[in-house]
Amino acid sequence: MDRETVIRVARSAHLELTEEEIELYRRDLEEILDYFRVLDDAPSSDDLLVNPVEVTDVLRSDEPHMEIPADTLLEDVNTYERYVRGPRVQ
Amino acid sequence: MIDLSKLPAINERYRMFSEITSEASADAEFAFSAKDNLTAVGFRARAGSAILEGYEPVFDAACVEKMRSAGGFLVGKTNMDEFGFGSFSVNSAYGVPRNPYDAERSCGGSSGGAACAAAVMDGHVALGVSTGGSIACPASFCGVYGMAPTYGRVSKHGLIDYGNSMDKVGILSGDAKDLGRYLPVISGEDRRDPTSCNHPPLAKKFRKLKSVALVRSETSAGVDAAIRAAEEELRSMSVDVEAVSMDTLRYALPAYYVLASAEGSTNIARYCGLRYGRQDGDLSMKFDDYFTSMRSQYLGEETKRRVILGTFTRMSGFRDKYYAKALGVRNAIISEYKKIFERFDAVLTPTMPFISPRFDEISGMSALESYRADVLSVPPNLSGLPHVSMPCGYSEGMPVGMMLTADHWNDDMLLSAAEDWQDRFTAIPPEVSL
Amino acid sequence: MKIGLEVHVQLPTRSKMFCSCPTEGDAEPNTRICPVCMGFPGSKPSLNGEALKLGLKLAKMLECSIPDTTWFSRKIYFYPDLAKNFQITQQETPVGLGGVYMLGDKPIRITRIHLEEDPGKIKRTSDGSSLIDYNRSGIPLAEIVTEPDISSPAEARKFLASLLADIRHTIDLEPDSERSVRCDCNISVGKERCEVKNVTGLKNVERALTFEVVRQTKILRAGGKIERETRHFDEERKVTTSARKKEFEADYGYINEPDLGTYHIARMASEIENKETPMEMAVRFENDYGMTAKAARQIISTDIRLAGFFEDLAAATDTETAKCLVSGVVSSNWKGFEPTKGSLDDIISMVRRFKEGKITDVECNMRVRCIMTGDEDTCRICSEDLDKIVGRALDENPSVIADYAANEKAANRIIGAVMKETGGTYSSAEIVSAVRRLITERL
Ligand SMILES: [Zn+2]
Repeated sequence: MDRETVIRVARSAHLELTEEEIELYRRDLEEILDYFRVLDDAPSSDDLLVNPVEVTDVLRSDEPHMEIPADTLLEDVNTYERYVRGPRVQ
Repeated sequence: MIDLSKLPAINERYRMFSEITSEASADAEFAFSAKDNLTAVGFRARAGSAILEGYEPVFDAACVEKMRSAGGFLVGKTNMDEFGFGSFSVNSAYGVPRNPYDAERSCGGSSGGAACAAAVMDGHVALGVSTGGSIACPASFCGVYGMAPTYGRVSKHGLIDYGNSMDKVGILSGDAKDLGRYLPVISGEDRRDPTSCNHPPLAKKFRKLKSVALVRSETSAGVDAAIRAAEEELRSMSVDVEAVSMDTLRYALPAYYVLASAEGSTNIARYCGLRYGRQDGDLSMKFDDYFTSMRSQYLGEETKRRVILGTFTRMSGFRDKYYAKALGVRNAIISEYKKIFERFDAVLTPTMPFISPRFDEISGMSALESYRADVLSVPPNLSGLPHVSMPCGYSEGMPVGMMLTADHWNDDMLLSAAEDWQDRFTAIPPEVSL
Repeated sequence: MKIGLEVHVQLPTRSKMFCSCPTEGDAEPNTRICPVCMGFPGSKPSLNGEALKLGLKLAKMLECSIPDTTWFSRKIYFYPDLAKNFQITQQETPVGLGGVYMLGDKPIRITRIHLEEDPGKIKRTSDGSSLIDYNRSGIPLAEIVTEPDISSPAEARKFLASLLADIRHTIDLEPDSERSVRCDCNISVGKERCEVKNVTGLKNVERALTFEVVRQTKILRAGGKIERETRHFDEERKVTTSARKKEFEADYGYINEPDLGTYHIARMASEIENKETPMEMAVRFENDYGMTAKAARQIISTDIRLAGFFEDLAAATDTETAKCLVSGVVSSNWKGFEPTKGSLDDIISMVRRFKEGKITDVECNMRVRCIMTGDEDTCRICSEDLDKIVGRALDENPSVIADYAANEKAANRIIGAVMKETGGTYSSAEIVSAVRRLITERL
C-alpha cells in the first residue's frame, strides 16, 4: 500500500487527506490488507451472494402512493422555488 | 409516569444519550431508547456523525413505531460510534459514553450508549443495532443482556445503513425477560424492508436450549475463568456442553471487515452536504470539490478509514480478491455453523476476549488491533445468526459476557436460555453515583 | 464502420421502481418524492414487480436468454442528481443476455438488457450552482445494449425506429414518448471507438453519428489517430464535443445490492406470454399469406390494426382478395379513418358482395371508400341507386312520413323493406341513413 494508492482511493471516495492522514491510513491499510491475506486460502462457495439468509422474490405491486407529503420532506432541505439547491456541475 | 428527572445529570457523567426527550411520559407503559442510527419523529438521527447534524427524519423506524404503539415511551437516542464504525463508542461526534462500572473504561460499541442506558436505568429497554457485534460487545462490557436476532427477523426500515447484508436491530436490557417480551413486539414482516419478508415467524412458545458446542478461544485469564465457571453452571442446568473446534472461524474477521467496509463505503457515499444534514457548504464550488470538502470536513477519522478500505476492496482489479472472495467465505462459514447445529442447539463462546479496556489503552491500539477485538462477536453477525450476550462473571470488578449463537430463525431458544440463565446468575449492578 | 447502441427506455409503470411515488402527475419540481427516491438515511428500496415484468417482456422480445436468478448491484458515482450517489442497476445478472433483433433480414445482436433506476434532473443557474428536481429519480429504465452490428448512421436510425415500434407494442408504451428514449452511441470508423453519451431522440442519434463519421474519417485521412474517448452531443450546434477528461476516475466499484435480495426470473419469465411483435407478425404474413417482405412490413408499419383487419378480411373472403383490397383502397384511405367494429364489418360485407358477383370491383372500391372517408361525393354516387329504391318504397307507403313525425321508429318499416329488397347490397348503416334522409326531405 503506497501513498499514491491511498490518495487515488480517497479521491475516488471524495475525500481529501492531509499529509498526516495519508501516512496514517497508508500504514493502517497496509497492516489490515496484510492481515486479509489469510482469505487467500479460505474455503469458498457461491450459495448466497447477496444476503446471509435467503431473501427471494419480494415484490411490490405497482400502486402509486405517497405516505409523506413532499412539502414535509422539503422542510429542512436547502431549496429555491422547490428545486434542491446543489453545487456547480459545469 | 416514568421519572426522568435524574437523567440529564446521569447523562452529563456517562454520555449515553445524544439526545433526551423534553416531553413528559404521561401514561406510558414502559420506557425505551433507540440507538441514534434509528429514525424517530421528534428526534434527530445523526448516527454519531457530524455530517448528519440537522437531520430530523419525518418517519419512525419500524422498530420504534412498533415499540411506541405497544405503549412505549421513547426517552432518547443513544450515543454510538459514527455510523456504527467502532467497538468502543469512542468514534462519536457527540461525546464518548463511559462505562458505569468504571468511568475510565469503554462501554463497548458501537451500541455503547444503549448498553450503558440498559445498565444504569431500571426497567429500561434499549433498541440497539448490530452489524459485526455492536450489541453483544457493549452488552458484555456493561454487564447486561443483549440480543441480536436472525438477519431479517426485525425490519430495518428507518435504520441508517452500515453493512446492509449484516445489519440487525436488537435489544439490550438489564433484565433478560425484556428480550423475550420485546423481540416479539419488534419482529415480523414489513413490506418497506424486503429483507424482512418471507421468513418463518418467531415461535410463540420459546423452546428450551438443551445442548451447546463450546468453541475455545484465546482470552484473558479473567474471561477464561468466568467462562469455565459458566460452563459448569450450564451443565448443572442439564445443558450438554461439549467442546468443538470450528476451522473456518479464523476467516470470519477478515471476511467481515471486507464486506462491512465495502458495503459501508457505498452507504457513506450519500453523505455529501446535499438534501439533509449539513448543507452549509459553498455551492459555487464544482460538485466534485463541494462533495470532497463537505465529506473531508464532517466525516470522522474511523469513517474515513473504512470508506477508504471499503472503496479499495471493491475497486476493479481488487474486487475479486477481496469483496467477491469474502462473499464466498461467508458461505463456507455458514456451512460449518450448519454442521454444528445438526448436533447442538447453540454455540458458546466468550463475547469478548477481554474485559472493557481503559480509554488510554484504546488510544494506544492500532486500527487492526481494535478490529481484532471483534474476533468472537463477528462470526454470528457475518452469518446472519441470532446471538445473545449474557453476563456470566466479573474480572477486576468489570463484567464478563458469554455469547450463545443459534441457527437461523431459532431466536426463541436463545430467549429462553437467557431467562433461565438469569434465574441462576446473580448480577452485580453498577454503583451509579451522581 | 461499426456502430453499437445502448438504448435507455423508461418503462411505463404507474409507480417508481423502488418506491411508490407516482411516475406521472404534477410537473412542479420535487412533488413526487419520498425518503427512498431522495436517498434519505433510513429509507429502504423495494422492487416494483411490474418493472421486473416489463423488463422480462423486453428480454423475451429480444430473444435473450434469461438467467435463473437475478439480483441488483450498486454502481457508485458521485453526481448531484443521483440521490444516494449510487445507482441501483444490474451488473452480473441482467434480466436478458445474448439476444438478437432482426432488422429486416439483418440480425443485430443484443449483448444484454438490464434494469436500473433513472437519476433526477439537473438545471444550471446563472450564478454557477445547480437546481435539482428528483421527480424523475427512481423511474424504471431498461437499458438495451447492442453489439457493434450497425453499419451506418441511417441504419442506426432505422434500427431504433423499428426497435421502438416493437417495444411500444410489447409493453404498451405511449407512442409520443420518443423524447424519453436516450442513447449512448459507440462508433468506430477505424480501429478505435468513441462513445457519444446521452443522445435524445432518433434524429439526434443519426445526426450525432453522422457528425462522428465525418470527424473520424477526416482525422484518419489526415493520417491522424482516433482517441478513445467519451463525447457529448450538442443538440443546438449539432456537433459532438470531447467530454473533459475526468478529474475523478470512473471506477464504479460495483457491489451486490443487499437491500432487495434475489429474484427467480426464469420462472417468472416462463409465465409471461408476449404479444406477437410487429417483426414476428411480418414474418408470419410472408409465410402464411405469401406476401413479400416489403408488403408485409408496409401493412404492419401503417397500423397494427390494419394488419389485424387484413387477417379478418382474408378469413372472411380469401387471401388474394384481401391482399388486393388492403394494399389498395383500404391502405390509401387508412389515414384519417377511425376504425370501429361496425365500419370494419361493413367493409367486409361489401367485399363479400363483390366476391359473390353482386357488385363490380369498381363499385366495391367506391363503397369501401365511402365507408372509410364519409366523403360526400363518393357517397352520393354510391347511394344514387339506393335513393331510387328507398324513394319507390316511400311512394308505396306514404303514411310512413306522417308516422315518422310522431315516432321515428316508423322508419323501421321502410328500412326492413329496403333491406329485404336489396338483400345485403348495402350496409345497414347506409340504408338507415338514406331512409332517414329521404323521409326528412319529404316531411
Ligand atoms: Zn419516492
